[in-house]
Amino acid sequence: MTGLDRSAVGAGTVAGSGRVVAATEGSVRIGGLGEPGTVLLSGPLPSAGPEPLDDHLGRWGSLPGRDGDGVLALARASRLDGRGGGGFPLARKLATARESGGEPVLVVNASESEPASAKDAALGAHRPHLVLDGAALAAEALGVSSVTVHLHRRAAAPLDGLTRAVAERRRSGHDGVTWRVSLGPDRYVAGEASAVAGFLHDGDARPRFGAAPLAVVGPSGRPTVVANAETLAHLGVIARLGAGPWADLGWGASPGPRLLTVTGSVGRPGHVLELTGPGTLGDVLVAGGLSAPPGAVLVGGFAGTWVDGDEAWQVPWERSALSCLGAVPGCGLVGVLPHGACGLVESARLVRYLAGESAGQCGTCAVGLPRLAAAMEALAAGTFRRRALRRAEALAGELLGSGACGHPDGVVRLVRSTLSVFADDVVRHLAGEPCRHADHPPVFAVPGAHRVSDGRRRGGRAT
Amino acid sequence: MTARMRINPTRCRGHAVCALYLADAVEIDRWGFGRVVEADLDTRRAVRRARRAAAACPNGAVVVADDRDRSGPPATGSDPRTGAGRW
Repeated sequence: MTGLDRSAVGAGTVAGSGRVVAATEGSVRIGGLGEPGTVLLSGPLPSAGPEPLDDHLGRWGSLPGRDGDGVLALARASRLDGRGGGGFPLARKLATARESGGEPVLVVNASESEPASAKDAALGAHRPHLVLDGAALAAEALGVSSVTVHLHRRAAAPLDGLTRAVAERRRSGHDGVTWRVSLGPDRYVAGEASAVAGFLHDGDARPRFGAAPLAVVGPSGRPTVVANAETLAHLGVIARLGAGPWADLGWGASPGPRLLTVTGSVGRPGHVLELTGPGTLGDVLVAGGLSAPPGAVLVGGFAGTWVDGDEAWQVPWERSALSCLGAVPGCGLVGVLPHGACGLVESARLVRYLAGESAGQCGTCAVGLPRLAAAMEALAAGTFRRRALRRAEALAGELLGSGACGHPDGVVRLVRSTLSVFADDVVRHLAGEPCRHADHPPVFAVPGAHRVSDGRRRGGRAT
Repeated sequence: MTARMRINPTRCRGHAVCALYLADAVEIDRWGFGRVVEADLDTRRAVRRARRAAAACPNGAVVVADDRDRSGPPATGSDPRTGAGRW
């Protein structure tokens, strides 16, 4: 395989990315779309819109031909981890689906449901062909002839980019696959893998209970691989650079470059950055415009983990280092809480939003999350003080592991990290001292305050 | 014989019939919904009782399946080590 990689680089087909590799070895590079030092985001500036197929192939060269075993070996050797939130190895999904019998279903999950995350949207809107390259390779690995690209129906820019890219590839007969585009509802849990697979099967975009992994048997009865758009874009890069050189652009247990969305109290909330090399969370924050550690950082998503600002400044953006602080890379969200804001107030808002995003299928989640949100709000407001804290802790324990999907678990993770990282604030709120930061405007934009949780929701139809 | 028991939380409506058959393996939470605390059924007797509970649940929420793959993360909920949900 190394031979193939060398020949690809040597032939000058990826001159640009070859330069990237040389430049970033051992050093940290962080940049946005079209900025130097980037890999996935390299290429034209955002104002250029979706990169056309010819330009894309001009920069990256055509996909080196490989058989299914070759693609699987590449995914394995690169240790490519899923970038949708779970961090699950792509190679294991592909291998499991291949072994499970029946024709697999392959879905590109571009339905970025984490409200503050914008990385998959950036890829869909600006680098759609890199995503589709990876999808074509995954199709090769699975031996399937059709690929479904799934995204939110209101995600205008990525929808435009991806549908244009799909049309270009259909016209050029570029891949041996039939492309389909599916549009689903933009609810938080509707982007979860089993919800996406279920939606494609019967139009119901709620997570599914299942005794077996989707890659063994999905809602349609066929092995189903739902892979995040960024994950597949990396596969497209790995096919050009080679597994080893790609993995070397990462750090330790987090191989390869990664996309992060910086949000909250930063100059450009929602700015997507690509990190290559051994970078710390502090490096990312500096790239986001900070010059000193903030109050705290929310890592991995709204249902993520708070990390104290000073600790965040030092911690490597690497899976095992983050896990020492109880955090996971998740979807790469980096949410900055300034010193002047209250973590309890902010978390209470997030928990209330997430409670409203329960699909309402599982009793404990449907009933328990709103109560957990109420307990957090009481704690933040300083009412029912000790009882609120005890209640939040007890509810968190009951909610953990109670759902068909990981939604309640994610909220519990957020609540537990809130209570530990903001322990001093908890003490102050318990002592009945008025919150010094009560007047601070909300730091994280929570969508759909107008929405009312009505328990069940059904999605629309695939197009 | 080994098998694994799960409660499908999307079906459970809190009738708590399972707890009559499986007092040691199932607990009922404060809202009445069942939760499996001991999923592994290692004896014939345990499997038999779980199958009775499955038959008795008015919503068909109790699932008893032959244990095939113990190595992966749980298919539902999320894996506490990685945060990975269903794959």
